[in-house]
Amino acid sequence: MMIRLLLLSGLAATGWLVFLRRNRLPVHILTIFALLAAGGTMVVFPDITARAAVAVGVGRGADLVTYLVEIGTLFVLLHYYTKFVELERRMTEMVREIAILRAEVERAAPTAPPKPAIPAPIERDADRS
Amino acid sequence: MAPGIVLPDCVTRCYECAVEQSTPMCDPRVRDTWVVIAAYNEGEVIRSVIAEVVGAGWKVVVVDDGSADGTAAAARMHGAHVLRHAINLGQGAALQTGIDYVLRRGAKYVVTFDADGQHRVDDIAALLDGLVHADIALGSRFLGSIEGASASRRALLRTATTVSNGLSGLKLTDAHCGLRAFRASAAPRIRIQQDRMAHASELLRKIKTSGLRVVEVPVTIRYTEYSTRKGQRGFAAVRILFDYFFRTS
Repeated sequence: MMIRLLLLSGLAATGWLVFLRRNRLPVHILTIFALLAAGGTMVVFPDITARAAVAVGVGRGADLVTYLVEIGTLFVLLHYYTKFVELERRMTEMVREIAILRAEVERAAPTAPPKPAIPAPIERDADRS
Repeated sequence: MAPGIVLPDCVTRCYECAVEQSTPMCDPRVRDTWVVIAAYNEGEVIRSVIAEVVGAGWKVVVVDDGSADGTAAAARMHGAHVLRHAINLGQGAALQTGIDYVLRRGAKYVVTFDADGQHRVDDIAALLDGLVHADIALGSRFLGSIEGASASRRALLRTATTVSNGLSGLKLTDAHCGLRAFRASAAPRIRIQQDRMAHASELLRKIKTSGLRVVEVPVTIRYTEYSTRKGQRGFAAVRILFDYFFRTS
């Protein structure tokens, strides 16, 4: 029973975090809550996973859960790796543009037209002294 | 010369004898060529490399790839245009930054040249000669000569060439020589997207798939204690292969 309590607490904490950071489309939120609910159901009624495992041709319910977790983990890894590479590419483009712009600004600086002279402050009370 | 007449950029006049002399810039090929050098913490040798290349009349842009030493200042002091990456990205990224810059400056020919003093300035002209009937000229130390390389390094280079030829489908004698020249018109088709060292293999694959005309030119590579110390180790090949296959966007 202890392990069930721990697992359910973990799922509930995950759901709470998702709820707090709900800045995505409702469909994403609903999908995550559906997955959490499925996880909670499997924790409370482990026989369901055993029956599902037999139905799809896997020996044990624990094996079925392991396979699903492996597929899910690989998907998440690939998703974030692709994002990481894309972010790196964008960062490269940004650093490149900054380098070129800075060089062009530095090169143009000596020949830039002189700044207009700052007009002398108007002495409103010139005759005061 | 009558007073008030402005000399062309490529002509200088001796102040002592008043004789007008043409500089290397009078050669249209020199005028239209830019040498791109990627440098990372090369302050120790960059002075002599830039002085040699600029002294021969070539226009040079050095891309300082986030160095922590005086690389940029030394390069600028010796007459190179200097671009600075705010952070270290890798040699491939630095070369592409330099290529983008010189293309915006109107370059017709681009030469890539290593910062560690391995390459000879005389080979630049030989590479440009190779572009008469080709879009890209690749330096080959195995057609030319190698000075100061150990037997193990030669074996490593041969192995790298075999692997690169297998990946690219080209039949080259030297796959990873940093001394190359290409026409500006070829640049968009060989745009480097591999930030780090896998760019050399990426370049060969793009040359093959784009159908550009390629020629190998004999060059001389001088290995020094410094360049050997700074160069790639054998285990770097693993990372290069990983980048080549998986770090693509």
